[in-house]
Amino acid sequence: MSRDEPTTLGPSLGTDPFAQGDGTLPYLIRLRERSMRIVAEPVPRRPRGEPREELLEAPDLGPPVPELPSFDDRDESAGALDRLAGLLLSAGEEERLTQLAHSLGSRPYDEFGQSPRVTRRALALFKFLYRYWFRVTSSGHSVLPEKEGAILAANHGGLLPFDASMIVVDGVLGARPPRLVRTVVDRWAGTLPFVNVFYARVGQVMGSRDNVRELLRANQLVLIFPEGMAGVRKRAAERYVLQPFHLGFVEESLRHRVPIIPVAVVGADDQAPVLWDVQPLAKLLGLPFFPITPTFPLFGLAGLVPYPVRYEIAYGEPFRFYDEFPPEALEDPHAVRYMAERVRRRIQEMVDQRVLARRSKRS
Amino acid sequence: MRRVLVTHVESPVGRRVVKALFHDPDVALVVGLGTRPEPSFLAPYRGKVAYQRIDLAKFRHLQSFLHSERFARVRPDSVIHLPFAVEHSLERVPGGVSTLVSETRRLVEESVEQRGIERFVYLSSAFVYDPVPGNGNVVSESQGLGFDGDGDALVRAWIDADLVCQGELHGSNLRMTILRAATIVTETGEFVNSPPLSHAQAPFGYDPMLAVVSDRDVARALVLALHADKPGIYNIAGREVFPRSQLGAPPPRSALGLGAAWVERLVRRAPAPGRSFDRYGLVPSARLAHEALGFEPQYRIEVRGQGAARRIDTVRCR
Repeated sequence: MSRDEPTTLGPSLGTDPFAQGDGTLPYLIRLRERSMRIVAEPVPRRPRGEPREELLEAPDLGPPVPELPSFDDRDESAGALDRLAGLLLSAGEEERLTQLAHSLGSRPYDEFGQSPRVTRRALALFKFLYRYWFRVTSSGHSVLPEKEGAILAANHGGLLPFDASMIVVDGVLGARPPRLVRTVVDRWAGTLPFVNVFYARVGQVMGSRDNVRELLRANQLVLIFPEGMAGVRKRAAERYVLQPFHLGFVEESLRHRVPIIPVAVVGADDQAPVLWDVQPLAKLLGLPFFPITPTFPLFGLAGLVPYPVRYEIAYGEPFRFYDEFPPEALEDPHAVRYMAERVRRRIQEMVDQRVLARRSKRS
Repeated sequence: MRRVLVTHVESPVGRRVVKALFHDPDVALVVGLGTRPEPSFLAPYRGKVAYQRIDLAKFRHLQSFLHSERFARVRPDSVIHLPFAVEHSLERVPGGVSTLVSETRRLVEESVEQRGIERFVYLSSAFVYDPVPGNGNVVSESQGLGFDGDGDALVRAWIDADLVCQGELHGSNLRMTILRAATIVTETGEFVNSPPLSHAQAPFGYDPMLAVVSDRDVARALVLALHADKPGIYNIAGREVFPRSQLGAPPPRSALGLGAAWVERLVRRAPAPGRSFDRYGLVPSARLAHEALGFEPQYRIEVRGQGAARRIDTVRCR
């Protein structure tokens, strides 16, 4: 068989590619021309003789309109909840939310399922809890970084996590510029229908190392309750006494070289004092704990409504352990335990100061 | 210059891979393997691409091909294996999805024995991971696999095939690269390499976030993995994530009126045992693929409208 004529390998294998010459060249040229047509659209030329347009100075139209995220149904089917949120939120709050939405770009959801649209609706509701139910006062916003990531370590209390939601609202309404605080939630909450979807849409994430790492890489503020579930289920006699800390938040701080900002929350432990934790019943129902409070289960689910106690949130000076300790400290459990204990003591001090001030004010 | 064997070339991802390899100056020859008669889309690529009809699930077919004169003439040095990118609904694969596992096992074993084959790139799925409870969860390559004897047959097959390939990760004869891709979206808006995302199967009260990636980006990632001499496991995902309710097919219209539709929806959405990906989100992090392979998604997926009017488009990033 001569070299010039193509070798047929059989009906299924087609023609032998080695025996072919430049058979593909015309195809390649056609393909290149076609792709060039797609990529490079012709620019309309100025007709001959037509005068060139003068370059004028742009008129002063004021500050540019902020770009909104491109929701597919933003205007057409804005539901009743969106309209209600629009009525409840002031112009300044809307502007803060717009600034937050910028961080997502044009995406309607981020990797963790956060949606600016649902966050806006939730903020309209939780703002009332923040202002009129819990009457939150906060201090120390200046320690919150403007753009960088950080770990907020706070004390935990109360039956339902209103302390987390108040810190999130405080981050949006109080911080300059507004920051969306991403709370790390217990995995158990992720198994609950509807709750897991709501948490995700308002920016909360489930407690896994991968999630925390991804958030810190993206320069987010990550709120961690190092006490874990022990903080929520502690009895009324132990309120404002911080439980032993888990160590993961210190490890992630060292790994990603982000500061730990201690946050003291006063008020959460009074919103639903736990008298007793009925563990056998909790095991039977598959719950992490089953609390008995003065109102629950006496008044059914209505007994879970928190008491209208005053909240106080304080941000302390950040710990930068990555500057104090060498990178090998990450591998030393004693060193990590020591750092976690320093954070715990600092938060305990901040809480004690405010609790004492409250008591003296009452007396 | 590489000489590449691409399995399941008639699949949507297979087509993209062939096109990408055809334009790749570092690839000398591509041999596509498929179970059907030669697809017409291969006609313009004959200068560089050959086709062999073969059923990889059948041992004799594979043996006769590997020992044929044709194979000796082709002398491939790399394999791109795409077993699960075959059909829109993998549950309809003849013989069941377990045949895809056995075909993967045979192909890996034969590739180890064939001294000429140096590299093996396998397209796996991100659904092999064990989802953490929660709506949206980022998972890295170190996340554990979702072993569950009572779980979904498709997921078990994915995990089995993934493990077969993992067995050769540290082998001396073969350089193995495993790409675990998120739900792949084709140009026509269909989902590949994914479990059926039927709206009716989602349990009530759950709407997990799912990552998607364009088939063109997956083809690029496969080609990058072929050239980069970095064996290992890499996640492949696009930039967009969507709630499952937005991606899944709209529920069938009920002829019984509005009230009955709600009852029907409640009944249909009863939680199915063993399908944790119906409840919990899986968003693979492609950070490692970006750092090691240089993978960067070039297309984004847009979902417009809802229900019957839903449209899924692939748009090139600016």
